[in-house]
Amino acid sequence: MDKAEGALSDIRVLDLADEKGVYCGKLLADLGADVIKIERPGGDPTRNRGPFFRDDPDPQKSLYWFQFNTNKRSITLNLETADGREIFKKLVETADVLLETYDPGYLDAFGLGYNDLKKINHGLVMASITPFGQTGPYSAFQGTDIIGQAMGGVMYLAGFPEDPPNRLYGSQAYHMASVQAASGILTALYAREVYGGGQHVDVSMQEAVAIAQESAMQTFDLRREIRQRTGSSGLVPAHPAMGTYPCKDGYINIFMLDWPTLLDWMESEGMIGDLREKHKETLDKLSDFLMIFGLVMNLEAYDKFLNEEFPPVEAGLKAFLMTKTKLELYEGAQTKRLQISMVSTVEDLLASPQLNALGYFVDVKHPELGETLKYPGAPYHLSDTPWRIEKRAPQIGEHNLDIYEKELGFSREKTIRLKQGGII
Amino acid sequence: MMGEKRLPFEGVRVCDFTWFAAGPIATKVLADHGAEVIKIESMAHFDRLRFVQPVPDDKAGNLNCGGFFNDFNSSKYSMHLNLAHPKAIDIATRLIMKSDVVVENFSPRVMEKLGLTYEKFAPQRPDLIWVDQPMQGLSGPHKYYAGYGSLITPLGGLAHLTGFPNRPPVGSGTNYTDYVINCGHLFIATAAALRRRKKTGRGQHVVMSQFESAVSILETAILDYTVNGRSQTRNGNRDIQAAPHGAYRCKGERRECVYISARGPKKGTKDDRWCAIAVLTDAHWQAFCRAIGEPSWTKEPRFATLSARKENEDELDRLVEQWTIDRAPEEVMLLMQAAGVPAGVCQDGEDTLILDPHMKARGYYVYLDHPEAGRTAYDGPPFRLSETPGKLRMPAPRMGEHTDFVCKNILGMSEQEINDCIVDQVFE
Repeated sequence: MDKAEGALSDIRVLDLADEKGVYCGKLLADLGADVIKIERPGGDPTRNRGPFFRDDPDPQKSLYWFQFNTNKRSITLNLETADGREIFKKLVETADVLLETYDPGYLDAFGLGYNDLKKINHGLVMASITPFGQTGPYSAFQGTDIIGQAMGGVMYLAGFPEDPPNRLYGSQAYHMASVQAASGILTALYAREVYGGGQHVDVSMQEAVAIAQESAMQTFDLRREIRQRTGSSGLVPAHPAMGTYPCKDGYINIFMLDWPTLLDWMESEGMIGDLREKHKETLDKLSDFLMIFGLVMNLEAYDKFLNEEFPPVEAGLKAFLMTKTKLELYEGAQTKRLQISMVSTVEDLLASPQLNALGYFVDVKHPELGETLKYPGAPYHLSDTPWRIEKRAPQIGEHNLDIYEKELGFSREKTIRLKQGGII
Repeated sequence: MMGEKRLPFEGVRVCDFTWFAAGPIATKVLADHGAEVIKIESMAHFDRLRFVQPVPDDKAGNLNCGGFFNDFNSSKYSMHLNLAHPKAIDIATRLIMKSDVVVENFSPRVMEKLGLTYEKFAPQRPDLIWVDQPMQGLSGPHKYYAGYGSLITPLGGLAHLTGFPNRPPVGSGTNYTDYVINCGHLFIATAAALRRRKKTGRGQHVVMSQFESAVSILETAILDYTVNGRSQTRNGNRDIQAAPHGAYRCKGERRECVYISARGPKKGTKDDRWCAIAVLTDAHWQAFCRAIGEPSWTKEPRFATLSARKENEDELDRLVEQWTIDRAPEEVMLLMQAAGVPAGVCQDGEDTLILDPHMKARGYYVYLDHPEAGRTAYDGPPFRLSETPGKLRMPAPRMGEHTDFVCKNILGMSEQEINDCIVDQVFE
């Protein structure tokens, strides 16, 4: 039986992206697009990124490569040669999308800029992800992930005020840029269906990140106040018992809006101590949402409350939390409609009853390794055109023959000549 | 190509039940690119983001003036529909029948209870795209768990992996996944389904579990565990392939400002200034040394190679900061960039909105006039299309501002029918 097609099964993407766009290509490939990764002869530099399969630092075994190149095909091609550029132009004729992350102007210098390529392929959607976009005074600036997080304003908000701003784990600026680029590509592909013709998509990593400043921009715009890092207090001013707390086997995150239910829970577990007798007034205040809301608005009174009244109650809460595991607190709170979640470790995610019930993790075969590896799965489900990982990431130049000989009709002799010339 | 600039999603109608950020930012991008997005709210169930700071003091309590809400709802219509009323369900049903896309991000309990589900509409409307964005999914033991972005970011694993190793896992300081990751994934799935429909005429059911979406951006953390048994944890600002690599304290300004800390606003001078620097290659290192004037420590063997610098990174970071602390972060960035070293100011909300000359030159933030909130800044389109660029066409809608418009122009209701609904409090 034929499998259902992916949403983008009629789309071909040429992928020249480095780390900034590696997730963008994956997003398109996992929706069924034919994404052809163009590697330099010898292999793409991102193959040298760890970690590696069984810690064996072999460019064919990079887990980074595996993660971000599922479903893609690979050819090798040297764009810095005239022959390479001619072959590339032939490929552009067959493509719907070109994804690239070079410095602005780099491809233009080779005659491969958008204005050159659209003459070859009027319908081409070309997406360029750069640290600061194609125009503007910083457009030639160098930027890695941490620079994008810094300049886009998210880093300033992460961490404790006495520490340096924190970089979010896992190249989030790159991945945000990739998400925005995939959004732009799909919008341009939709526009092509409606109006005809392709276009250029300009993604600045800095701009891609900027909206993740949450309310920092608006806070300055409307109040001329600068939001700072606040540990885990989040949107400030913080309510009592909000943020990260330790428990028996790790950490949880609390956003406590319903103290009466929480206190009943502590009592039912014999962990209320003498709070009801000795701190009745404080508990009454905490239980009255409007009163707390009013207190938070009156900062002097709120400080007094937090410094003088709240500590014994918080100590009781902390003692209660230490008697339970993350999962016990999370599941227990949710059945009572309290806002507590786990600070999941990677083990927690793999063991998650919810993720496993959803079938989130997917097995991907790696015949060369003789193994099937467990991957993170679908970020979304489309009923008619399913997301799927059909094939592991490609090996270096795995599809050279498919593309160069079968599709472009090169003779074996020509392929060998190109290989020896360092072109493919 | 197209003469007059058109918007890509012109003619696409979206019936939008989403609230907070993870849904509304996706529909903002649709609306800013031409879709007719009708946001369904009511007095009892208005988008709670309307209630959240910042609001100017003289507009406190005004649900039409919240900067957070307004930013995420440009170019949309707002219709009041009190879904507790049976007549409202009938009107919602009629609106859904006239829409191309329906999108919601409640707990699955809500739409089940209201009887507004994909299963109900699919038989009559095979071309409808129905998008659910629950926190957990539409099945599984935690299906009905509720939560805000502040809970999904730690649940999804990012908080555990972010920050300094000697600190508790406080995460991003924001409801991180709401603002690009989860709304972006939602947008991608919806736009892919829209294009598919354009080709085949068929709609489909899109389900995005915010939990699954959040776990999808943990880079190699999952594979490193399932393959190598290694459970990654917090590593601060360091990078295995670079040194120096981090945020370095710079010279503060004397200028007065108000910082918002965990305990509210406090007056001070703008002294919390940092610059990020990333030295990845030997060429970067040599350029870095020249840019700081080659002090003698840069010649020491313990910093000569990447391996050596990684081994002496604490001391290296201290020495780098000795140099940055006497300079404004902008000066550090410009000196580094002139030398070809990646560097960037850790910008705050004032920097990105007002002071960054690059953001300004590109016109990223867009100012719109709002009848009650006045002239305020909005995030512009996150990607720039050369031929059909996005455009913020309207400021955020006031509560129920377009109820009458939707009833008359889209649903074709008579004055009499509208008045009856008003009397019955259907539009409260």
